Amino acid sequence: MNAKLDFLQELGNIGAGHATTALSQLLNGERLNLVIPEAVMLPFEDVSSFIGGQEQAIAGIYIEISGDACGHMAFLLPLESAINLVNMLTLEESSKLSELGLSALQEVGNIMIASYLNALSNLTDMCMIPSVPSVAIDMAGAVWESILADAEVAETITLIKAQFAADATPIEGHILFLPNEEDFQKIAQALGLEDVE
Amino acid sequence: MNELFVNMGQLSVLRNTGILTTIGLGSCIGVALYDPVVKVGAMAHVFLYKSHKDKDPKALPGKYADLAIPSLVQITINQGARKERLYAKLAGGAHLFANLPTKTLSVGEKNIRAVKQQLSIHNIPITGQDLAGNYGRKMRLFVETGIVIVTAIGKDSKAI
Repeated sequence: MNAKLDFLQELGNIGAGHATTALSQLLNGERLNLVIPEAVMLPFEDVSSFIGGQEQAIAGIYIEISGDACGHMAFLLPLESAINLVNMLTLEESSKLSELGLSALQEVGNIMIASYLNALSNLTDMCMIPSVPSVAIDMAGAVWESILADAEVAETITLIKAQFAADATPIEGHILFLPNEEDFQKIAQALGLEDVE
Repeated sequence: MNELFVNMGQLSVLRNTGILTTIGLGSCIGVALYDPVVKVGAMAHVFLYKSHKDKDPKALPGKYADLAIPSLVQITINQGARKERLYAKLAGGAHLFANLPTKTLSVGEKNIRAVKQQLSIHNIPITGQDLAGNYGRKMRLFVETGIVIVTAIGKDSKAI
């Protein structure tokens, strides 16, 4: 693996660690297991299948990042997981997402992504400002490609994926980070990382 | 029956028989072209209205509307279709993230405009469409009949 991806993977590790800790606190200390995040560079042809199960219903929370270091971030989870998560937060036992459930989900995404970005900001001393989060419930493929289109991705996509699952409740999800290449190259250089092309 | 999947940014053509399928249409547009006389069908999964950042936008001819429509026309002609007999059916161009701020038009709306403009330049009539809205779609073209079926979560499939 090259130094750039190593560096991004480490950022993903720290960011996703903070994000899952924040989620765990929201869920009264529910244990969440984080799979070691991976940073990859994918050709455009492979990016749509990267998240798998394209026809599956998922919930997606999407945020644009502006400031010193820009990018896009998404929190994707299977619809079942989203419903379980909202039920745990609202102490209800609903089998679908209400309006209230959707805004609860949006807020969870907001808190997780803000925790992720705060950790990166502190580490790199760069200002990263999240936009208001947007929520969509739909086929995984349609949600994912709408995010990629909004980010206007080109031939090669740099992506950091972190995957987590709860211990006791069926809740799992992905946090995806699409960093702006140039900005994060500058960060790597500022941190004195060698051999980052 | 042979079912060929058209991934994001790709285009494919079939003659006489088979199904061309594209899944996960959000703001992207599925474009189906069909010549009923020779039963040649082609499909593209158009990602964006035009290329901004790609070094070589032609590398994936189905990715951008301005290149995808001429390429689609060409591959149908290569299979024996006649341009004046072609018609188009469209699906997608949705705006899934309802509160996502858009400066002017949403990505989906820009894609719809660009695809329709290209089809009009090539004098290809649009005989069916299921566009815009706030939900994702799957599109299938049955090459033997030219029938196009669009499906979405929680909705009945429909022929367009």
